Amino acid sequence: MTQKKLLIALAGNANVGKSVIFNYLTGLHQHIGNWPGKTVERAEGTLHFKGYTIDIIDLPGIYSLSTYSLEEIVSRKYITVERPDVVINVVDASVLERNLFFTLQLMELETPMVIALNQVDMAKNKGIQIDLKKLEKLLGAPVVPTVAIKGIGITKLLEKAIETIEKGAVEKHAQARYGEEVEERISALMAMLSNVQVLYPPRYVAIKLLEGDEEIEREVKKIDPKIVPAAKKLADEIRSLHGHACSTVITSERYELAGCIARNAQKLVFPIKPTWGERLHNITTHRVMGYAILASSLLLIFYSIFTFGGYTSELLNNLLYELEPIVKGAVGAGVAGELVWGGIFEGIIAGITIVLPYIIPFYLILYFLENSGYLSRIAFLMDNVMHKMGLHGKAFIPLMLGYGCNVPACLGCKIMETQRERLLAAFVTTLVPCAARTVIILGLVGKFLGFQWALTLYAFNLIVIFALGRLAFKIVPGEPTALIMEMPDYRLPHAKTILKQTWFRVVEFVKIAFPLIIVGSLALKLAEIAGLLDTLTAVLSPVTVLWLGLPAVAGITLIFGILRKELALIMLATLLRTTNFALVLSPVQMIVFTLVAMFYIPCTATIAALVKEFGWKKALFVTVFEIVFAIILGGIALRLLTLVI
Amino acid sequence: MEKRNLEKCEVPLTALKDKETGTVTSIKSGRGRGRGRGWGFEKRLMDMGLTPGTKVTVVKSAPFHGPVEVLVRGSRLALGRGMAERIFVETANE
Repeated sequence: MTQKKLLIALAGNANVGKSVIFNYLTGLHQHIGNWPGKTVERAEGTLHFKGYTIDIIDLPGIYSLSTYSLEEIVSRKYITVERPDVVINVVDASVLERNLFFTLQLMELETPMVIALNQVDMAKNKGIQIDLKKLEKLLGAPVVPTVAIKGIGITKLLEKAIETIEKGAVEKHAQARYGEEVEERISALMAMLSNVQVLYPPRYVAIKLLEGDEEIEREVKKIDPKIVPAAKKLADEIRSLHGHACSTVITSERYELAGCIARNAQKLVFPIKPTWGERLHNITTHRVMGYAILASSLLLIFYSIFTFGGYTSELLNNLLYELEPIVKGAVGAGVAGELVWGGIFEGIIAGITIVLPYIIPFYLILYFLENSGYLSRIAFLMDNVMHKMGLHGKAFIPLMLGYGCNVPACLGCKIMETQRERLLAAFVTTLVPCAARTVIILGLVGKFLGFQWALTLYAFNLIVIFALGRLAFKIVPGEPTALIMEMPDYRLPHAKTILKQTWFRVVEFVKIAFPLIIVGSLALKLAEIAGLLDTLTAVLSPVTVLWLGLPAVAGITLIFGILRKELALIMLATLLRTTNFALVLSPVQMIVFTLVAMFYIPCTATIAALVKEFGWKKALFVTVFEIVFAIILGGIALRLLTLVI
Repeated sequence: MEKRNLEKCEVPLTALKDKETGTVTSIKSGRGRGRGRGWGFEKRLMDMGLTPGTKVTVVKSAPFHGPVEVLVRGSRLALGRGMAERIFVETANE
């Protein structure tokens, strides 16, 4: 039996439960990656239903289809180029007006669609009742009520989607009709566009030209350069008629229409008392309590992750090293054994002892916070602070993640709106001392010089982050963006969705980080066997000994630290033949070593993440900059500290 | 810093007190840093529903000139302070 293939796209605002529906539909048959050449996430999955093989693509959560963010461009390109058989528009029933604003734009793309009216239960709690039949009639598209986190209505949704496809003929959606002045000019432009073939439907092109959409202007210019100035003239006419820019007029009218549909289809029955979510919102964004809650939850999260991580990591490490005699016994103890064990296996162990103890709990907590809605409150509270380094509130989230591990933090920079901000946030993030660097700070400075010195280093690190963040913000061209963010109602997160999201993230991490960790450890092992390490020590000694005032072996340890930062400390102990560093290092040397280790380079896995998100050039630039910066900083610190201590 | 434009009785959104409601009159685009396009943010605000004529209620501001929480079209938005300063509103009782 040959199975028929279908393509369904999920589209909608952020925080409407789209990913819950996606996870419900696709289960574990998912592939998460980036859109080609873009820092925008692309989630795909397949399912089999009623003899069909259905590919499902989860488009990014967006509020509009203009060119404000990469996500918006990617989404509208996808819908027009790939032409999914049907678009499922997931709509939050409790914020109908804003969601319908997006629905109306999807309809302008003239794609077959089904509307999933999600979170009808939450809407009911807020006192909103929606007349489905009326909404269907007003929109001219089928509407299916769903409660995604309970799986209610999902099968019906799928059936409706297939029914829509099988019916073939695209139902005439209620096209958004604008005011007369606008409609006249849309018609005039459509007449001019009759010979212009672009990806998008003519009416959509006409509207977007009036709105001054740069991407569409470029497309049209290629075919007929006369049309764009004509559209500009028409847009100016509207501006003088209405006293507002044409894009403002169109957006306003579209919102009016969305509001009108929403008001017609919904009935407001006022809720008797504020919901628990409302109360929680008030507390968690309170000017005093909000920060107290934020600080204590972060402390709790990091304390438990580090305690759990440290314990499990060591346990796993010991357990996995039990394999050493077995592996070496199998391959032989000579050079081959050294390479297989020291190169490949130790690389894998390094990876495993990061992933299981640290990365998994981290993602679990992150997705719990995200799905519950707390992350947006954190961004709200921290916006102010982040502005000091030229970023806005959302950037606090990758920064916070960075204290656990820089890799998810770099990948998490996708939450920023523009490519520039993503890069800035990622750069700042790589400077954050992750769990591995914390091992060095606490294990060396904290243990031998006292906790206050470790704290001083953390504080100094923060100052550097702010200073370099500001500097980068000034240098990298582009406009700063400000926080414009919806704070969705709190809700109980869906456990299965969190588990799946975590799982796919961990797979992604393994794919990015493991190859490089293994290759790196193999290369180092080869260098060691070939006797290159002594040469390396000699080559590096002008920097390590003369400039940084460290023992010559420190050079090698820092190189090993590139693989995995805490290796720098472990190697140092091995090479100096003691774990009592107080005997072999002066306090100043300890501080200088820690400072350099803190800043000198992102680890291989982080470099891999940077390459994936931003390309080779930028990753290389960040890496080289940080090496140079750390060395200069270390040298200066040495000279200043010898005066003090 | 909040300048009142007496002629039109417009005030920036940040001049509203907590729980006060105003109607959006206009959004002043950024001072423009030369390159880049102020268009993006204005458009973004519009797309989030802050079109002229829309009622906005200020819920609260984060301390130390932090972002402003507003209610717009039935949903809750956080707006960076700089952004909120560019949104001009008319208050009902003035």
